[in-house]
Amino acid sequence: MIHMNGIVKRFGEQTVLSGVTFEVKEREIFGLLGPSGAGKTTIINILTKQLNADGGSHGTGADMLETGLMLDADGLYGRLNCLDNLNLFADVYGIPRSKSLEALKNVGLTDAAKKAVNELSNGMRQRLSLARAILHEPKVLFLDEPTSGLDPATAKGIHTLILGLRDNGATVFLTTHNMDEAIKLCDHIGLLHKGKIIEEGVPADICERHNSFKTVPDLEAVFINLTGVELE
Amino acid sequence: MRIIKAIFIKQAKDMFKNPMVLVMFIIFPVVALMMTKLVTVEDLPPNMFVTMMAAIFAGMGLISSATGVIAEDIEQKSLRFLMIAGVKPYQYLFGTIGFYLLAGAVASVLFALIGDFTGTETLKFLAVMISGTAASILLGAAIGLLSKNQKTATSLSMPVAMIVGFTPMIATFNETVEKAAGVLYTQQINVIVNDFSAGLWKPLLVIACNIAVFIVIFVAAYKKKGIKLS
Ligand SMILES: Nc1ncnc2c1ncn2[C@@H]1O[C@H](COP(=O)(O)OP(=O)(O)OP(=O)(O)O)[C@@H](O)[C@H]1O
Ligand SMILES: [Mg+2]
Repeated sequence: MIHMNGIVKRFGEQTVLSGVTFEVKEREIFGLLGPSGAGKTTIINILTKQLNADGGSHGTGADMLETGLMLDADGLYGRLNCLDNLNLFADVYGIPRSKSLEALKNVGLTDAAKKAVNELSNGMRQRLSLARAILHEPKVLFLDEPTSGLDPATAKGIHTLILGLRDNGATVFLTTHNMDEAIKLCDHIGLLHKGKIIEEGVPADICERHNSFKTVPDLEAVFINLTGVELE
Repeated sequence: MRIIKAIFIKQAKDMFKNPMVLVMFIIFPVVALMMTKLVTVEDLPPNMFVTMMAAIFAGMGLISSATGVIAEDIEQKSLRFLMIAGVKPYQYLFGTIGFYLLAGAVASVLFALIGDFTGTETLKFLAVMISGTAASILLGAAIGLLSKNQKTATSLSMPVAMIVGFTPMIATFNETVEKAAGVLYTQQINVIVNDFSAGLWKPLLVIACNIAVFIVIFVAAYKKKGIKLS
């Protein structure tokens, strides 16, 4: 469904991606892992047509209106309340405003519906940004570090939500620094390092391949083993 | 149209929560009203405070508001999310500028109600005010498009607003400036609101030319800086 084939991306002199190739199957949660600065966000930006690649081909199997997106720059309107933020997008998509309440409920923000975005905690803000991404029930969902900085309970809630979306037919592409999250949540992962995907597959299989499956699958060890760097 | 309306509604809701912008639309008429009621010095020209505040509002207040709103939407990445949701740049601009044009017109009517004008005077006043606010908003929107972020937006719009706003005042003391200022829409607003017996057509024509120039600048800014995803 989502694919990249030999994608190259340069920023001036710096080559960030030097031939990235991978494929994400329909109704799968794909996790892209890599150290800070590896180019994970850049890959999302290319797939969502916010950036042009310098070489290679890519596609998502969905048009922009069937795509949901959550980035760290959330673009929420700080002075407007949660509901108004979502209602704007419901109006833009031409879907009933009742979907806004539904999305708020899905991310556990029903009680904060009338709260201004500027008054939300970081975690609440992140959940609102996720609510906007799933508002129109997209076929393909891109989530850039959806749980970074969240407490474990909230993160778990978001995991449940993402799993539910997949079970309802969505294809999810997410980035993460969190190995635990990758193992629990993702059907498939790719490790991005020095501009290339250096390893990919089912998380447990990858750990097995690299003999890092003592008591629990230790993806962290695999990663350090392969790259010499630690994910924070 | 659905999308333009959605943007329009968003800008309306946002304005009432944005003190920086709301202040322009409330403070100027309120100050005009208070000064008109409170200052009772003999021999003051009729409606002096209304016309003064109205001219400053149309000439200066609106430029920085329009600039700020557009620059903020671009800097905060909210416009990016709208575009990913299928909003075309022109729809965003129509919705946003459309709302502020209406707000400028409503404020003009407020000023007209505060002032003690005859029927013809009211019509002349509204004609220059509504076209003048439109000129300001287009100029401000063009600056907003050209600015990378809100900081550059302010540092660009402030001097521009000062120049177009204060030139008419300097013009009253200096003939050379007065001649040069004749091409400015703010000067024409002042000409009419200070002397309703003056002919209306020349000022309106000058303001229309200003609007035309600002549209050209706006389109050039749009083409150069663009609002695009990649
Ligand atoms: N617009 C840009 N201009 C210049 N360089 C850029 C730009 N965007 C990204 N880069 C560079 O590309 C590299 C990859 O950035 P990217 O944001 O994709 O990393 P990331 O994997 O998402 O990192 P993180 O985990 O910290 O979010 C970085 O070295 C960054 O400096
Ligand atoms: Mg990133």
